Amino acid sequence: MSPPPLAFTLEAFTNFGFWSGVLTIAGIYAVVALGLQLNVGYTGIVNFGQAGFMAVGGYSMAILVLEAGLSFWLALPAAVLITMAFGMLIGLPSLRLRADYFAIVTLATAEVVRLAAQNARGLTGGNKGLYCEFDGGDQVCFDDAWRSVSDSILGFVENFWADPEALLPLLLVVWLTVAIGIVGLSFVQGTPWGRVLRAIREDEDAARALGKNTLLYKLQSLAISAMLGALAGFFLALFLATIHPDDYEPIVTFFAFGVLILGGLASYKGVAIGAVLLWTLLEGTRFVELPISEEKTAALRFAIVGVALILLMAFRPQGMFGKREEMVLGD
Amino acid sequence: MATEATRGSGPTQASSGTGLLDVAGVVKGFGGIRAVDGASFAVAEGSITALIGPNGAGKTTLFNVLTGFLRGDGGSVRFAGDEIFRLPAYAIARRGMVRTFQITKALAAMPVIDNMKLAAPDQPGERLHNVLFRAGVMRRREREVHEQALELLEVFDLGDLGDDYAGTLSGGQRKLLELARALMAQPKLLLLDEPMAGINPTLGRRLLDHMQRLRREQGRTFLFIEHDMEVVMDHADRVIVMAEGRVIAEGEPHQVREDPTVVDAYLGGTA
Repeated sequence: MSPPPLAFTLEAFTNFGFWSGVLTIAGIYAVVALGLQLNVGYTGIVNFGQAGFMAVGGYSMAILVLEAGLSFWLALPAAVLITMAFGMLIGLPSLRLRADYFAIVTLATAEVVRLAAQNARGLTGGNKGLYCEFDGGDQVCFDDAWRSVSDSILGFVENFWADPEALLPLLLVVWLTVAIGIVGLSFVQGTPWGRVLRAIREDEDAARALGKNTLLYKLQSLAISAMLGALAGFFLALFLATIHPDDYEPIVTFFAFGVLILGGLASYKGVAIGAVLLWTLLEGTRFVELPISEEKTAALRFAIVGVALILLMAFRPQGMFGKREEMVLGD
Repeated sequence: MATEATRGSGPTQASSGTGLLDVAGVVKGFGGIRAVDGASFAVAEGSITALIGPNGAGKTTLFNVLTGFLRGDGGSVRFAGDEIFRLPAYAIARRGMVRTFQITKALAAMPVIDNMKLAAPDQPGERLHNVLFRAGVMRRREREVHEQALELLEVFDLGDLGDDYAGTLSGGQRKLLELARALMAQPKLLLLDEPMAGINPTLGRRLLDHMQRLRREQGRTFLFIEHDMEVVMDHADRVIVMAEGRVIAEGEPHQVREDPTVVDAYLGGTA
C-alpha cells in the first residue's frame, strides 16, 4: 500500500456513500448559513451564535420526545418555536447594542447553551449525549418516527434503484429545505420588508429617521435565523443519530461563516454553492494521497481550505455570488 | 396646508403654544455638561425657520432630542398638538416630523430609487405577515410609490440616476437625495441639519430654491440649522439663536442680526 505521490484514488469519484454524507452535511451547513446570510448579509447584524440556536433546537426536540413523550412531529414545530423565542429573548436586549457587542453576546450565549447542555446531565445526558432511552423495557429514540419515514422513502426508491444509500432520504429532505429556504428568503428579500432590512444594514439611523422600527426588524431577522438554526439542529441530530454538546462548538458557526464568505454576502444561492464548495474542499481532500503521515494529511486538509479562502479574498473578495459594488460602497 | 397669511416672507406669530412645533424647557445633559439647557421656542406652520448659534451651542443635540435620537432629560415637545417628547425616533418620523443629517446618510449600497421608496409611508408590505398574505395590496402600493419616487427624482434632477447605487452620487447629489427621500415620507415638518454643508454653491442654491418652492406650493414647514448668515438672512422668515444650550434670541432675520446679545454670543462674550 504505497501510493505514488499526489494521487487521487478512483474511490474519490465512485464512492456515493461517502459523497452522500458530504452533501448532507453541506446541506445542513447551507441551512445554517442561510440564516447568517439574512442576518449578516441583509440586516447587518453579526450573529456568531448560530451553533447555539442549533443546540437549542436539537436538544428541545430530543427532550420533548424522550422526556415529555411528545410525538416527533409535534416536537419539531414546538422546538422551532422554543428556539425562535430564545432568539428573541437574546435579541431584545442585545440588538440595541452596536454590531460588535451584539456579536460578542451571541457568541457567548451559544457557549452558555453548550456548557449548560454539557452539565445539565439529568436533562441532556451531559457528555453521553442524547439518543435513546428505555421506557419500561422498550427502547425509545428521538428519531424513531423519522427512521420509519426514511425507510418507507427508501422502500419507494428501491422500485427504481436497487440498494439505495441509507442517507438518501435525509439528503433529499435537507436539500429540499435549502431550496425552499432560498426561494422563500429571496422572495421576502425583494419585498418592502426586505428593503427595510437592507436599509438597516446600510445605516440604521437613516432607517429610524424614515419611521422604521428597526429593533422590530432586527428581531424578526434574528428569529428567522434562529428558526433555520433549529432546522439545521434537527438535521444534524438525525444525521449523527445523537445530540452531543461537542457538535455545537463555535467552530460550527465559523464554518457557516466560511460558507457565507465563499458564496458571497447578500446572495442566497451563493450560500448553497458555498456550502458544497467548502465541504467538497474539506472532505474531498481526504482522497488526495500524499507520501506523508495520516496526521499531517489531516492537518493539511484544513490548510488547503485556509489557502482557498485566502486566494478567494485576494482575487474575488465579494465571494462567488456577492456584488462587488455593494461591498465597496457598503462602508 | 399653507394659509395666505403664512405665505411669502411675512413673519408669523411665534407665541408659545400655537406653533406646529412647540418646544418648552428641553434639557439634555451628558454627565456634567448640559448641552441643551432649557431651550424653548415655537415653529409656525408653513414657516422656514433657521436655527443658528456658535459651535457647541447645542443645535444638533437639540435636533437629536426633538427627533427622538437622544432621550431628553426634561421638558416638553409638542408637535401638531401632541406631546412627542421621548417618543422613539421612528414614531416621531411617522407623525410627520422628519429629519436629515449633518453628514448625509445615503444608503450607499442600495439603488437611488430604493432609497426613495424606502421612505414612503403606509406600505403594508413592510410587515412580514402582509408580505405573505396581502401581496396584492403590497404590489399596488409599491407601484404608486415607484411613480412618486420617479417624479420626485425628476424634480430634484436625479431622474437619470434611479438605478445607480446611492454611494456613487456626489456629495451634493446625496444632499438632494436625502431631501427628496425625506419628502417621500410626506412630512409636515422637515428638520434639516446643515443642508448646505459641504456642497458647492450652485447645488446649495438649488436646494434652497426647492425649500422655498415646497413651502410655497405644498405648505411644508422647515426648521434648519445653518451657519451661513447670508443664507439665513435671505431664506428664513424666522431665526432662533442658541448659545450654551439656551435660546437667547428669536425673531425676524434683521431683528436678530441687530440684537446685541446675538453679537456677543458670536464674538465670545457672555450672553
